[in-house]
Amino acid sequence: MTTMTAAGDAAHTRHHWWQHRTLSRFLRHRLAATGLAIILMLTLACLLGPHLLPYDELTVDLRARFSPPLTQDHYLGTDPLGRDIAARLLMAGRISLLVGFSVMLISTVFGTLIGVVAGYFRGWVGSVLMRIVDAFLAFPSIFLVLVLSAFVEPSPFMITVIIALTCWMEIARIVEAEILSLRERDFTIAARLSGASARWIMFRELVPNAMGPIIVAATLTIANAILLEAYISFLGYGIQPPLPSWGNMLNSAQQYLADAPWLAIVPGITITLAVSSFNFIGDGLRDALDSRSNLP
Amino acid sequence: MGRYLIGRLGQSIIVLFLVSLIGFMILNLAPGGPLSQFALTPGMSQADIQRIAAQMGLDRPLIIQYFDWLGRLLVGDWGDSFRDGRPVLEIIIEHLWATLLLMGTSMAVSIVIGIGVGIAGAVRRYSVFDYLATVGAMVALSIPTFWFGLVAIYLFALQLDWLPAGSMTTIGDGSVVDYLRHLILPTLVLSLVNVAIWSRYMRASTLEVLDQDFVRTARAKGLSRYRVLVHHIVRNALLPMITLAGLQLPTILGGALVAETVFTWPGMGRLFLDSIGYSDYPVVMGILMLSAIFVLLGNLLADLLVAITDPRVRLA
Amino acid sequence: MTTPKDTDRPLGKLPLDRRRFLHLGAAGVASLILPWSLAEQTLAAETVTTSGRLSIGFSQEPTVFNPLMPHIEVDDGIHWNLFDPLFFADPQGNLVPALAAEVPTVENGGISADGLSWHIKLRDDVRWHDGQPFTAEDVAFTFRLTVDPDFRSARHAGFDLIDEIEVISPTELRWTMSESYAPFLSILATTFIVPSHLLASQPNEAPFNNAPVGTGAFKWKDRVAGDHILLEANEAYFGTGPGLEEVVFRYIPDITVLYTQFRTGDIDVIGMQGIMPDHYEEAKGLNDKAVVLVPSASVESIAFNMERPQFQDPAVRQALYLALDKATILDALYYGLPEETESYMPHQSPYYNHELPPHQFDLEAAKQLLDDAGWLPGSDGVREKAGVRLSFTNSTTAGNQVREQMQQFVQQTWLALGVDMQISNRPPAVMWGDYWMQSQFDSVVVGLNFLTGSDPDVSNYFRSDAIPAQNGGGQNTFQYQNSEIDRLLGEGASEPDPAKRQPIYHQIQAKIRADLPLLPLFQYAYIRGYKDGLQGFEGNINTRISTWNVNQWRWS
Repeated sequence: MTTMTAAGDAAHTRHHWWQHRTLSRFLRHRLAATGLAIILMLTLACLLGPHLLPYDELTVDLRARFSPPLTQDHYLGTDPLGRDIAARLLMAGRISLLVGFSVMLISTVFGTLIGVVAGYFRGWVGSVLMRIVDAFLAFPSIFLVLVLSAFVEPSPFMITVIIALTCWMEIARIVEAEILSLRERDFTIAARLSGASARWIMFRELVPNAMGPIIVAATLTIANAILLEAYISFLGYGIQPPLPSWGNMLNSAQQYLADAPWLAIVPGITITLAVSSFNFIGDGLRDALDSRSNLP
Repeated sequence: MGRYLIGRLGQSIIVLFLVSLIGFMILNLAPGGPLSQFALTPGMSQADIQRIAAQMGLDRPLIIQYFDWLGRLLVGDWGDSFRDGRPVLEIIIEHLWATLLLMGTSMAVSIVIGIGVGIAGAVRRYSVFDYLATVGAMVALSIPTFWFGLVAIYLFALQLDWLPAGSMTTIGDGSVVDYLRHLILPTLVLSLVNVAIWSRYMRASTLEVLDQDFVRTARAKGLSRYRVLVHHIVRNALLPMITLAGLQLPTILGGALVAETVFTWPGMGRLFLDSIGYSDYPVVMGILMLSAIFVLLGNLLADLLVAITDPRVRLA
Repeated sequence: MTTPKDTDRPLGKLPLDRRRFLHLGAAGVASLILPWSLAEQTLAAETVTTSGRLSIGFSQEPTVFNPLMPHIEVDDGIHWNLFDPLFFADPQGNLVPALAAEVPTVENGGISADGLSWHIKLRDDVRWHDGQPFTAEDVAFTFRLTVDPDFRSARHAGFDLIDEIEVISPTELRWTMSESYAPFLSILATTFIVPSHLLASQPNEAPFNNAPVGTGAFKWKDRVAGDHILLEANEAYFGTGPGLEEVVFRYIPDITVLYTQFRTGDIDVIGMQGIMPDHYEEAKGLNDKAVVLVPSASVESIAFNMERPQFQDPAVRQALYLALDKATILDALYYGLPEETESYMPHQSPYYNHELPPHQFDLEAAKQLLDDAGWLPGSDGVREKAGVRLSFTNSTTAGNQVREQMQQFVQQTWLALGVDMQISNRPPAVMWGDYWMQSQFDSVVVGLNFLTGSDPDVSNYFRSDAIPAQNGGGQNTFQYQNSEIDRLLGEGASEPDPAKRQPIYHQIQAKIRADLPLLPLFQYAYIRGYKDGLQGFEGNINTRISTWNVNQWRWS
């Protein structure tokens, strides 16, 4: 779903992204700043919130099942087991955000590795690697995730790995394209002439210069990973109870849609909020890193 | 041109081979299997299950099974479903048209709206409309499709009772109106994402064209705003959209799968999910291969169209 | 809407599949001798006007139309309307002749006293849907096809004991069996006869398999895969009915949509999975709709893998049962609809033991029991004894929401006992594959029908030589081993006199209840609904599906 934000066209500058001008551009990007603020708040709430709420996320109270929001101190209501939805939402946030970040880390490292090697060595190595990338890109990622998750023991770790398996290709492509052009630049040629090893050139010269697009793509990967986790958990193949995740909170919501719509509305809005925030951040980062773009 | 085409086709075939290998291995290495659904069936013993597995050739080494499957595929035999024994291709084609109907309707709706919004946004860049459209598109892309489907069902089917909650037709009513009523909600849900994508791309594409010399020339010549817009800007901005149509195929197909599952639409996505549930590997493989072929063809066609229509692109 | 929820997932419902053929009729001694004293009842062809059409919603898609091939519960729903067995069991448990002129018994000479020779007389007025006459050759062919090594036959049991089949005339056949096998009668009662003239060559790929031709009240008309199956009246049907011109079986993969379409009248009958318990009250209040509770023979339980060190001490199993708040689970999560049970045996069975000690929820007693047995809380509150911690996993089909709610509820209660139960659910194909068959689980939540056909025999589940993980051929995945049970099961299976068998099976139930290799929860009941004005809908605990008698349905 982040295809539209193909980060590949972000110009690679010799600036480092953290340089002052870039940062100020980013911060001027109001939506991105809002997104960042929301993510920070959400993360903070997920970390601290559960300690402040009167209920924990596992306490079952069948007498209080299906309480609508604002019933006593169940601010967001309760679920079919009478558990506090606010507490579950925040604990679920820990899982969902953690899955999102972990997927981002795994797929960024893996995708970058493949992309750098393919781009630097080109030839048959690059060709084989990129055909594998193409093969993974050739099925809709949802198809791949579903096939994998239907046959694997669904621990949070495995879910993370499965989602990461379908998220690394975009990054590999972007990095390969970057490296292909960077390797012909003066500084690379100079390094090569001075006898630097391939590994040194790849990871000390090329990767740091391709960092901008990688960071943009990584941000968008988090957004994508959260959506994928939500979908497979919604189908029942993802994170398993009693561990809450935003997706599996929606799992039972469908059955009770007519009588307890808040079961669906609360996690759905939270997912949308988190995913939009990451998308806005990614967008802002791209604008900030792209010297050509004009800010509104 | 010919050499380029052959090269691209060669690459696509290698990719398809990898797709089949990856898909087949993932499916068959997983625990369980097509016969585990009968493990608890009355009167079927462990011995029965082993006997049937042998009859179906499932007890052979995986690599043999794979090349057996591949060999048949190469001569046009996609295998038979484990469930009803019919040819996989026949089953897929039956479900395909429902998916195409849904995808087609949604594509038509979202291209019209998306392109309109995109052009309007580009022409009035940084206006309130442009800003809202951009933010709206971003949010639309962030809404989980299945959840939006649930909300739509809650509102329009359960609360307001305006539209059916699922399926493609009412039993005994095959009228066009009936199809349309059933189409509205899934199209709405599927189009949400597609409109967002198309409008974003169209905006970017239009902006690019606006900057170019011939537009300035046309304006300088004193052509009316409208004429410039239609004859110069839109026509040129639409060109890259052809590529987009090709590249977006996996996303649109994936979106259709989700929409179909939420609205019990009897298409390929529904079939895919059911086939996974019953470990009907031949059908799952068939759908994976077919969607990969679609995606690769889409990419190829997009590249070719651009090559043909844009003289600046030279094919070596 | 979407998703393979518990219900629309092929394996999610597997446990419910297990409603075997049972004689669960009027309880009491009279019914004990049922198979041998049959109600004088035949399918007299009443004159019924054939009119109207009916749509039935299924949340799973029927895809297997050759009734001899491996298939699931929902496929039965079609088979019953297209085909006929020789005889079948009605809701009271009486065997009723269908293609056979009468049900074979020792009294009428159909079965020899030693149970080895069988003699069946057939109706002479039956034709296949394509006009060919139905004869004894078809029956003989069906029996042979079932054990044909090249045919993908679902089951061999019973048929592999047939030595020789002799067709005496088009309406008469005889066979001998290598050993007496009482359950064969009930196997026959769910075996549909297929036409020899359409399956003689390549039965695995025959066109018949997707355009079935039977003798039943309805003929195959059309199928739109993924959507519906259309059957039309067989005007030449030999039995009662059909009272409907057309029947549509609609595949609606989601239970919520299924219910919505029932509510709006898009479908006339809600078949499996039926109405969810949380909609029961609302459904009963619907205008123009009848909503009925149909009991099933399946029993839901929490079952242990007895080879795990945690479960070898009987005190642990007893304490876990004491700490199981069954009443709350049933009332709150299942809306009080299914029936609480203490046995694997369905209540309606004449062999059901009514004297089993009732369950009590008593957390303090459970704690005391564990304390006394030496299971004491460790530093983290989890009890342990001799290096074994009372910590284990519990698994079931991932996505089965009510079960998952139950698991989480039980998890909380047992935590208070000092027992750490981790939930580890798996996708259906994984759950019921080797993980279940080879006893790789610690504990499971599973719904099973334990009986062997009409017989109270449960050797398949409880005998020590029926453990697949120990090279046994049965379904004793609990790895339950008890020489006393082995002995009783052997005794019960070889005892032909139902009156003498009853105490044996009462004893077995009492021992299983005391031993607790599984903690019985409840016996399933399903909610079905149909539009007012439909006559003839009747649940039948002896069949797997509620569309077993559509031939008798009609609009008033």
